[in-house]
Amino acid sequence: MTQQLTAAPPRIGRARAAIVRPWLLLAPALLVLAVLLLWPLVRVFLFSLQDYGLREITTGEPNWIGADNYAGILSTPELWTVVLPNTIGFAVLAVAGTVAFGTGVAVLLASLGTFWRTVTSSAIMAAWAMPAVTGTYVWVWIFDADRGVFNDVLMGLGLLDDPTNWFTNRWTFYAIVLLNVIHHGFPFVAVTVLAGLLGVPKEMLEAAEMDGAGAFRRFFSIIVPQLRQVFAVVIILSTIWDFKVFAQVYLMPGGAGSNRSVLNLGVWSYVESFGQNRYGFGSAIAVLLTALLLVITAVYVRTVLAEEER
Amino acid sequence: MSTTRTAPTLRPLRRTARRSPLRQLGKGVLVALLLAFTLFPVYWMLNSSLDAQAGHTSSFWPAEPTLDHYAFVLTEGGFGTFLRNSLLVALGTVLVSSALALLASVAVARFRFRMRTQILMLVLIVQMVPLEALVIPLFVQVRDLQLLGTLIGLVVVYVALALPFGIWMLRGFVAAVPVELEEAAYLDGASWGRMFWSVLLPLVAPGLVATSIFGFITAWNEFIFAMTMLGGATENYTVAIGLRSFFGIHSNDWGAIMAASTIITVPVMIFFILVQRRLASGLTAGAVKA
Repeated sequence: MTQQLTAAPPRIGRARAAIVRPWLLLAPALLVLAVLLLWPLVRVFLFSLQDYGLREITTGEPNWIGADNYAGILSTPELWTVVLPNTIGFAVLAVAGTVAFGTGVAVLLASLGTFWRTVTSSAIMAAWAMPAVTGTYVWVWIFDADRGVFNDVLMGLGLLDDPTNWFTNRWTFYAIVLLNVIHHGFPFVAVTVLAGLLGVPKEMLEAAEMDGAGAFRRFFSIIVPQLRQVFAVVIILSTIWDFKVFAQVYLMPGGAGSNRSVLNLGVWSYVESFGQNRYGFGSAIAVLLTALLLVITAVYVRTVLAEEER
Repeated sequence: MSTTRTAPTLRPLRRTARRSPLRQLGKGVLVALLLAFTLFPVYWMLNSSLDAQAGHTSSFWPAEPTLDHYAFVLTEGGFGTFLRNSLLVALGTVLVSSALALLASVAVARFRFRMRTQILMLVLIVQMVPLEALVIPLFVQVRDLQLLGTLIGLVVVYVALALPFGIWMLRGFVAAVPVELEEAAYLDGASWGRMFWSVLLPLVAPGLVATSIFGFITAWNEFIFAMTMLGGATENYTVAIGLRSFFGIHSNDWGAIMAASTIITVPVMIFFILVQRRLASGLTAGAVKA
């Protein structure tokens, strides 16, 4: 009895501490997120409503021009003919390619014995671990116009007469970016889908096989519905990553703004800001990119939630 | 009765199908193609870095094997300085972001409080913001703090980049520690701080290692902020932008570029192999649960 009485006061203290303590623990992280992520997001929007250049940066004085930057962007013909197709078209192809290829690899891995599965997964890890910057330089080197191995092999096979510069043409430029992004991105899809595949009940597959369902039928009628959630996540994350492709374009020959036919939203925003000192205009482009990403994220999050409620 | 009968007949059937030579061959070809596609860039990087003839003739193995490119990169190339800078920045990022992430993850995993869900959503959403949108205002902010061109300025930014994912990943590790252990420590009269250090910390250590490695890779690989914030401060360049110094206006020293690329990639690959499983599950965990 006395023990219970003495135990009571600390419990009240604990209750009060339980309210304060999480906020104390969260405070440093929230401060960092607020100052270095949220406030900048507000600020990039505020910049986008100004003619913000070097003078404004040094003096810190605002220079409001309303929505002029946005009007300027929307009336730039390049936005519709070059930048948006390069951003959205590329993202669609990259997501489709990464998810399809990654899933194929996962199915292959699931059918292998332990030894070969370990060997192949390790190789995949190596592709995943390649930093975007060095990976891009390696692809640039492989496709180099004068000394690249790709041209050498094609010429050796008699398929090409003279060395070709693959970076000047918009389509071949983005074909190389696509190869780079799929090579870097498929391991995540493969590893995640493989984990999901191994979780599909074997009995279901065996039952379907007994009922005479072929491999394709089993894949689309059993595995895909079972892995709906996994696919949704993999597609969301790939989409978010592939819309933000920056270094993979910027570091390619002509990718840093000198070849205007390969600009995407991210690179355009960067070169307008830091190349032309038009920080306001660049901010407006960045806001458009962020808005586009938020819309996509919202659509997918709703799809995921809707699937769950079913 | 019928089910017990069909099961044994099914197994041999599947086994023969799996072992049919044609299928095995097809699978072997697919695996070989996959390995070739996956490893070719890595192999080509190593090959060129070890070949004195790199940039002159392409050959599928080092025609004139040499370590000269590595020697050049690390001495005259000044890559030693870039490596030191990257190491300092990465370690600074890891120390600060892991500590902050640990505290925050204990809060969201152990306490039920108002706004908890909103904070988790916030942590999830800020990871989707494109760096291109952050680089302009952060450039201005870091400039106002007079930290442009400094390593500290980079650490400040990288902590913010590594923190959300760190919180997200550690949250799972903290939640997996049985509450009973903490309650037992309470009953034994341990203070909250004592409980944190002696009970929780050792148990989430593996998660802390994974978070640290993730933070390290984030800082080590980062390109856009390093390029923007360091500008002309060559002596403070990190490896990711130091690579650019081997590109000439007319010709590029590909042997040196590939040697430097190899030096950058190797530590990341080692770390990756160490945390691969946690990284994949960490990326999807939140979304699948949500």
